[in-house]
Amino acid sequence: MKVYIYKIFERFWHWTQVTLIVLLAVTGFEIHGYYELFGYREAVMFHDRTAWAFLVLIVFAIFWHFTTGEWKQYVPTMKLVKEQISYYITGIFTGAEHPTNKLVYNKFNPLQRIIYLGLKILVIPVMVISGFAYMYLNYPNVAVELSGLGLVAAIHTMGAFFLIVFIIAHVYLTTTGHKPLSSIKAMITGWEEMDEKEAREMVISEMEYSLKKTKEHFLSEKDSSAFLDKALEETEEKLGVKKVTKFRDVIANSGAGYFKIDSTGHYIEVNKAWVGLYKYGSIEEIIGKHYSLSRSGNALKQLDETFNKVLSGETVEHGLVIRKCKDGSVGYHTITMTPWIEDEKIKGVQGFILDVDSTNAAKMEWDNN
Amino acid sequence: MKRIIYVILVLIVPQLIVYTLITRFDINLGSDESEEIELVNYTKKADKVIRKVVDHAKFEVLQQEFERPQDVTLACLSCHTERHHEIMANNHWTWDRSEKLANRDSVVVVGKKNIINNFCIGIGGSEKTCSRCHIGYGWEDKSFDFSKEENIDCLVCHDQSGTYVKAKGAAGYPAVGLDLNLISQSVGSPKRENCGVCHYWGGGGNNVKHGDLDDAMNSCSREVDVHMAIDGEDMSCVECHKTENHAIPGKVYALSSEDKNRVTCVQCHTEAPHTDKLLNDHFQRIACQTCHIPEYAKANATKMVWDWSTAGRLDEHGNTIHESDADGNHNYLSIKGTFVYDDHVVPEYYWFNGLADHLLITDSITETPVQMNTLEGSYNDKGANCSTGSCSKIWPVKVHRGKQPYDVVSKKIVQPKLWSPNKGDSAYWTDFDWDNSIEAGMKYVGLPYSGKYDFVETEMYWPLNHQVSPADKSLQCTSCHSSSPDSRLANLKDFYLPGRDRFKMIDYAGIFLVLFALLGVIIHGGIRIVLRKNCLHDNK
Repeated sequence: MKVYIYKIFERFWHWTQVTLIVLLAVTGFEIHGYYELFGYREAVMFHDRTAWAFLVLIVFAIFWHFTTGEWKQYVPTMKLVKEQISYYITGIFTGAEHPTNKLVYNKFNPLQRIIYLGLKILVIPVMVISGFAYMYLNYPNVAVELSGLGLVAAIHTMGAFFLIVFIIAHVYLTTTGHKPLSSIKAMITGWEEMDEKEAREMVISEMEYSLKKTKEHFLSEKDSSAFLDKALEETEEKLGVKKVTKFRDVIANSGAGYFKIDSTGHYIEVNKAWVGLYKYGSIEEIIGKHYSLSRSGNALKQLDETFNKVLSGETVEHGLVIRKCKDGSVGYHTITMTPWIEDEKIKGVQGFILDVDSTNAAKMEWDNN
Repeated sequence: MKRIIYVILVLIVPQLIVYTLITRFDINLGSDESEEIELVNYTKKADKVIRKVVDHAKFEVLQQEFERPQDVTLACLSCHTERHHEIMANNHWTWDRSEKLANRDSVVVVGKKNIINNFCIGIGGSEKTCSRCHIGYGWEDKSFDFSKEENIDCLVCHDQSGTYVKAKGAAGYPAVGLDLNLISQSVGSPKRENCGVCHYWGGGGNNVKHGDLDDAMNSCSREVDVHMAIDGEDMSCVECHKTENHAIPGKVYALSSEDKNRVTCVQCHTEAPHTDKLLNDHFQRIACQTCHIPEYAKANATKMVWDWSTAGRLDEHGNTIHESDADGNHNYLSIKGTFVYDDHVVPEYYWFNGLADHLLITDSITETPVQMNTLEGSYNDKGANCSTGSCSKIWPVKVHRGKQPYDVVSKKIVQPKLWSPNKGDSAYWTDFDWDNSIEAGMKYVGLPYSGKYDFVETEMYWPLNHQVSPADKSLQCTSCHSSSPDSRLANLKDFYLPGRDRFKMIDYAGIFLVLFALLGVIIHGGIRIVLRKNCLHDNK
């Protein structure tokens, strides 16, 4: 299952940052004297230009983070840090679940939050400041001149090594997603492949996030659930995802029969569908009658057992059962029976029956055997 | 398909644009050859209009029969009146000037007259031969009258016939038998040959002293000197050393001490001659000469070492010995000792702020090698206002290393009497007796001598200015910005130089961390691959 995680600017920003940081590293270490690639003069020139490009990108990124509220992704938390660490140290080898899920308002795990925040507010600013000082404050023709390049060079070099280590770890950890390449693919296409459970949480979080945001739009003491219900209904209609319908309607439209029986075995409540399945004329006709009229022979014995089980607190899901209708004919249905609890006491049982046509009934019987 | 195009547009194209902008766009690495060099205060050879304004051959005063060379001088002065005041104020005449030595409070009068170096040491007692390079006639000893204008030698600088020559050991008088009419009628603005006869040949031979002033520069290629090349601008000395009223700018730190009256590249090339800002910035701390004079003594060898202590060895007949190295340069002379010559020499580099100290003959030796003329400067010496250029810059320097006599008791360099036309006059070059010559020399300059001498190592500094190479031969970034021991600045350690210097601890720690991270990835990933079933979140 794929979920849209990374917005277009985010991806543009990320990959441009990759290009620039790689260029900075390659030219930077050439200037440091480790190898010859572009040529020293070109390396210095490219390093300088790349630094300016990086600065421009940073300005755009800062603007984006604040206008979209994405900066909140980087608010550090100590929650689940331990779990996240222990997941990488041990859990990952035993196939344990990720301790954290990607959520819309929480794309990063707590370790990522801390590391990325550290990069943003410490390493990158230090690199930018020391870098521009290195480049532009080294000659006496400027107002503020460094007394020497040693200190900024030392800081800049340390930062560079730190960034290399970060890149190694960062690239490696991208392989710990759903599949080894899912994270990288996600950063390219925006869509991340996840397992169903994580995707569900992602979707829930997205809805939750939207609802919370919606709620922020009106402040009222009054219970606003009806208002929200209405809004939700309209939204669903607009999007054509009309799935969250009322429970009762589900039952009404599904054709499932509903029943409620008291502890003595007499019907207290049934619905229209139930009456129809048993071929009675009206609901009143069956109220107050004992359930034994709905079965015959072994089936009744089975129902007695089930009834007693449920009265003692169990929920029973039956497979196929054969019912006896008013006119003496038979039909097939499945049944779910749960205790009917009022005031913390089991007052009886209630449940649904779902009709099964005779063809399917035969198949189910075959499956059961 | 649509998505692929979208991804390419959004993610790949910007990267290509960024990469191209950074590495390709408007890449101007300033290959100066194709570009016209921007100059100020200079008219190019092609644009020069040369007019002969006066024909000295037509002047009657120059057609007289000259009995003495002084008569020529008087003839000159009869038209060029008062010029003698100008030239007699010039240190080509005085051989001294008042200078404040670096790090000393008092102003001293120093010059060729009284300074000591580690070549021929000093002129004291040997004036009659040394004054061959004096622009005067008759400086034999201390009695020479510096106020007598007829003793000015106009011709040595102004002769254009190419026939004027001063005699050896003749106190500056010309050789006998010269056609002084021809010579005096030829006069004009000094050419390279006029300056070169002394400035090339100082120290007793061609290119011996400076290393960047060589007889070959009268007619050289661009490789040797891009300014003076005959196939180039063919510049004469005075086109840079622009002289008004006989005041000749430019100075050599073998004699001078103060940061004044200097000839600079900037006078024509400006302070920002490169198209690349980064190179122009380098001007703040690096002399033009450093990059543009990658080597010196390009046509003929120069003297690098002069060891007086071996002098005096004679053959079995008591005759002096001349020995030469494989290149034909002297490496032993009985009168002077052992030499080392070298050509295509890589300069040594020093911080230099334009101020120098000098070892005076009255100074005691405090260190060895004895520093004859310490160049002041360091990285941290950024001057009061560096943008004016008064802060220290890295300069290319010829260092001449010597070993010369000193008084072991007073710990002072001594002045031996070297030259005399006659044997038995205590001159070392005729008698080969150090004791006598030092005693005679010190007596002549009026200083005590304990009678005990030895030889001490000395170093003398010659900042380089000439023999500028073509731009494509100038130093490249990695000539200095390199950790290799061949880095030109390998020995200039008082500052952090990118590309040369690294903090070992940071590098080791950084490399260790990177390897540690890689190892961690390999181990962690390895375990995940081995336990593939459980891992990679593929639970199905």
